[in-house]
Amino acid sequence: MRGVVAYLWLIPLLPLLAAGAIAVLRQPQRALAARLAIGSLGGSLGVSLIAFFSTLGAAGPGEAERVYLNFPWFELGGATVRLGWVLDPLAAAMAVMVSLVSLLIFIYSVGYMAHDENFTRFFGFLALFAAAMLGLVIANSLLLLFICWELVGLASYLLIGFWYHKPSAAAAAKKAFITTRVGDLGFLLGLVWLYAETGTLLCYDGGNGCLEQSALAGLVTQTTVAGLGVSTAIGLLIFCGAVGKSGQVPLHVWLPDAMEGPTPVSALIHAATMVAAGVFLVARVYPLMDADAANLPGLSTALAVVAWVGVVTAVFAACIAVAQTDIKRILAYSTVSQLGFMMLGLGVGGVAVGMFHLLTHACFKALLFLGAGSVIHGVHDEQDIRRMGGLRRPMPITFATYAVGMMALAGVPVFFSGFWSKDEILHAAHGWTVSQAPFYLGLLGALLTAFYMTRQVCYVFFGPNRGGQAAATGVHAAADAPRATDSTATNHGRSPHESPPVMTWPLLVLAGLAVAVGFVGTPAWPWLPAYLEGQGATFAWGKLFAWGTLGTMLLSTVVAGVGIGVGWWLYGRRPIERAADPDALERWRPEVFGLLRAKFHVDEFYEATFIRWHGRWAAGCAWVDRWVWGGMVLGVGLVAQGLAWLSRWFDEYVVNLGFDAACERLTQGGGWTARLQDGQTQNYLKVLGVALAVLLLLLTWGGSS
Amino acid sequence: MSTVDYLELLKLAAPETIVVAAAVAVLFVDLVIMRDEPMRHRLLIGGAVTGLGCLVALLWLAKVPVHAAVLGGVLVVDPLTQWVKGIVLVLTLCTAALSLHAKFTEHVGEYFTLVLLATCGMMFLVSSDDLLTIFVSLELTSLCLYILTAFSKRDRSSAEAGLKYFLFGGMAAAFTLYGLSLVYGLAGTTNLRAAAAALAGQGLTPLLAVALIMVVIGFGFKVAAVPFHLWAPDAYQGAPTPAAALIASGSKVASFFVLAKVLMLGFAGVEGSGAWRQFSAGWAPLLATLAVVSMLLGNLAALAQRRVKRLLAYSAIAHAGYLLLGLLALANSDGRPEALAALVYYLATYGLTTVGAFGVLGVLERVNGSDRLEDFIGLSRRAPGLALCLVVFLLSLAGIPPLAGFFGKFYVFTAVVGAEPARLGLLWLVALAIALSAVSLYYYLQVLKRAYVVAPVAGADRIVLTWEDRLAVGGLALAVVLLGVFPSLLLSPLGAAIQVAGY
Repeated sequence: MRGVVAYLWLIPLLPLLAAGAIAVLRQPQRALAARLAIGSLGGSLGVSLIAFFSTLGAAGPGEAERVYLNFPWFELGGATVRLGWVLDPLAAAMAVMVSLVSLLIFIYSVGYMAHDENFTRFFGFLALFAAAMLGLVIANSLLLLFICWELVGLASYLLIGFWYHKPSAAAAAKKAFITTRVGDLGFLLGLVWLYAETGTLLCYDGGNGCLEQSALAGLVTQTTVAGLGVSTAIGLLIFCGAVGKSGQVPLHVWLPDAMEGPTPVSALIHAATMVAAGVFLVARVYPLMDADAANLPGLSTALAVVAWVGVVTAVFAACIAVAQTDIKRILAYSTVSQLGFMMLGLGVGGVAVGMFHLLTHACFKALLFLGAGSVIHGVHDEQDIRRMGGLRRPMPITFATYAVGMMALAGVPVFFSGFWSKDEILHAAHGWTVSQAPFYLGLLGALLTAFYMTRQVCYVFFGPNRGGQAAATGVHAAADAPRATDSTATNHGRSPHESPPVMTWPLLVLAGLAVAVGFVGTPAWPWLPAYLEGQGATFAWGKLFAWGTLGTMLLSTVVAGVGIGVGWWLYGRRPIERAADPDALERWRPEVFGLLRAKFHVDEFYEATFIRWHGRWAAGCAWVDRWVWGGMVLGVGLVAQGLAWLSRWFDEYVVNLGFDAACERLTQGGGWTARLQDGQTQNYLKVLGVALAVLLLLLTWGGSS
Repeated sequence: MSTVDYLELLKLAAPETIVVAAAVAVLFVDLVIMRDEPMRHRLLIGGAVTGLGCLVALLWLAKVPVHAAVLGGVLVVDPLTQWVKGIVLVLTLCTAALSLHAKFTEHVGEYFTLVLLATCGMMFLVSSDDLLTIFVSLELTSLCLYILTAFSKRDRSSAEAGLKYFLFGGMAAAFTLYGLSLVYGLAGTTNLRAAAAALAGQGLTPLLAVALIMVVIGFGFKVAAVPFHLWAPDAYQGAPTPAAALIASGSKVASFFVLAKVLMLGFAGVEGSGAWRQFSAGWAPLLATLAVVSMLLGNLAALAQRRVKRLLAYSAIAHAGYLLLGLLALANSDGRPEALAALVYYLATYGLTTVGAFGVLGVLERVNGSDRLEDFIGLSRRAPGLALCLVVFLLSLAGIPPLAGFFGKFYVFTAVVGAEPARLGLLWLVALAIALSAVSLYYYLQVLKRAYVVAPVAGADRIVLTWEDRLAVGGLALAVVLLGVFPSLLLSPLGAAIQVAGY
């Protein structure tokens, strides 16, 4: 394990080199770009796996085995800023997940982006993203983590706005960048404060790191405004960054809009990896969040805030997801909701609970997004689920894998990973001594999740194909397209088709993972949580049937069953016939449905408050700039003009007539230098003699003085 | 004198031995094997053998660190001399690369042999603490360079330049020898340190003053300081361009380094002072005087030149002035390591830049047949890459950041100001140097203006560059930029080497 950590930097470096190499490729070198990106990530995956296996079996009792390598970056005055890598179960598991999912998505992108003219640039950005994300994962310094964090934000900006010629994509990229920046401000303030208090930003440094006992003990004893412990305040500021990056309420607004990017980007960045960075951050600084004056593990104020923000987000986003019609937007809100679950898990149950859901979610949400991409690809860039339908017949592989993802997300029991990880969270919430409300809200969220996923699958894969009706709504104007219920028979060349193998293979692999990953964290064999906490896991059937566990499991099974059942009853039994038909819920409660479809008007609220205030403030600043500062600048400019005029006069009549004339003569005639350099060697030698005499005089004169 | 372990001596002098072996090899290959081959092949093979010899010697320097002095300082091998020898070898390598298109001679083997022998002389020069070997290696270098200057046998100006260089050099060598023999007579030893120890406490006796002036005149000729510079414009002008590059770079590096050693070690105790209104006799005021006139005359005379080689010659004289300032900083033993590092850094970067500038000049000469300022008109269109390299070289010579020339000047000037920290007595010299650097920008920009701004006459076609040109000139430009952006690449190993060598 100690040997591996010395080579850990290879994990982010390989994709970074690939990104650099792709940046200098020319546009037509598509195959080379794809090979570089995929090859480098394959290398990263290899190193990650080696690192991962080296952490297996290294578990000591109680505390997870952790090795790190710190090195100085630069010196500033007396202080040395140091960075470092860390290898512990958290980093290793995350690195394997990120590189594996990224690799599959890279491969998938080869098919998905095959027709894009900027294919090369796309892979360059993807590789840059992967490098930054992997760097974030292995960072042992919050500063390095922050640098990678911002690089990840940059890559995300570039990728969301990849189709920058679409105004909506450009706007979405800007929105994502600025909204996450709001959270990052808190993060940065937290880091600065932490550095001021502890003098280091290294997480682990042989007892002197900012996440280790001596630093934390110092932090909890101090209090700041409102009786808040300094550790809690710093923890909450850092959590602001996580709120922005992981799309928690109230900074969730950018994440659904980010679906303007190409679908592999949505899968990679906005489902599986980047948005999980916030959760990962909280997991990384968990010792800081957990530090509290009361010294009760798992019950600090900061963690309570995390839990509450998480559960509110989980329910809030699930509600919105119910009423959306864009296939990717539903998944986006679902992501926000699931990230809320992860935060809840971290808040009430600790690192292992939250990270378990993060890992399972990464697999099945990447699967769902890639499945959605496959659907979009198959129906020729249509994203509205009302204009899909009946796709299970033309796209069997996509359908089957999508169904696996959907069931994993909905929490169908026993065979799907989502069930186990969500159950773990609910179980932890049930055992939370502060309040029972998160538990019930979590159940509600799970119910809604099962419901909206069933709704989506019914819309997309069941019922009649409504694709031909695009003409009726005027989006894809094709006046002669017949109204078709059986698209395969009538839509010439525009009929839905299954995606190429380069796209379906990653789907199959991810579907396998979406099932398998769950089994490493069941109550009977809690290997993953034990691994993350550095304990050994034993296999015991009995634990599965312990009362508390079994009760939660039964309850969540019922909840998932009810959600799916209601969904099927509303959407599967009688699917809508035409794309313009109202939704089943809309018929029942139009005003509620309208509110949900409008996403609780959060965007409008921000528009009317922050953005308008900001606009007014900017207008005021512009006025001050133009009239007050501008006036001053103008005044200074006039003075300068006056001086310049004076200077020109001086230049022309004093300098030019003096120095310039002298220079001119020197340049033309060569002056006395030319007389010296007359080309006669005998004169040269005379100069030598004269110089000897003069120098001798100089020394004797100098010596006498 | 103790017995000499010849095997050990051979090991210590291995880089020089390799260079000599290469010199013999290149002569043999060219005269015996390549005799009837076309010129192009002969030049390529000759250049390749020369380059190989330099590379092997460089590798030896890099891989076999030794630290020893034999025969009481006749051959001194320490990390610092290794570094300076490495720099000389790199400059020779570049010169060889520039020679691959030589049209001035058919005696390829003899040409490369002379280049290598001159290099060998420079290397021994660097490695010596002994008056006798210093003089012998100085003569070895000089004689090779005289012949190289006159190597373009069909060209009258080359022959004339060679003769002038030789006459002037012979006179200067006489001065040097006379000065050195005076030192020997006074001190009774040829070792620099021993001589300084023997003369300690006597102060600047009249005889020692004469010796000092003689030695300074001899080296002043080698480094082309005013008023011993008179050969330089003619020699630069007349010599084949690669030979001029070697005279301007490698020879200058070695001569300045050995001058520093002779003054610093051999004339320790008679430094004197060149500070403003604090003149006291010694070598410092001597150098200060030479530096002032060199900077003044070099920069002002360069303004009047219409031929770029002559312009570079006067620029070299001006740079000799700046470098003499760098030597002044060595007079004070505090801060001497930094001053020495600054001097060697300046020498190395100046050498690289000059060879690069001569490389660009060589290409243009090949195409246009002359080196008038007018021939640079439209260079940016005819050869954009070459023009860009020229910008790098000339701006570096002018001392514009972030190129290496700026940092060279910066470190040297800082060292000079720091050498008299209490009274800032040498500030007047630095102020003058900075003012004259600004003047120098004028004539460098004269060249660049023609390359970039002046509209070209119609019909000038693109210049086709060979791969050797690209490699040599491009590599040198890259090195100048890199050493400017990361001066510590060279400065920190130099600092370490100086510490180990113990100056």
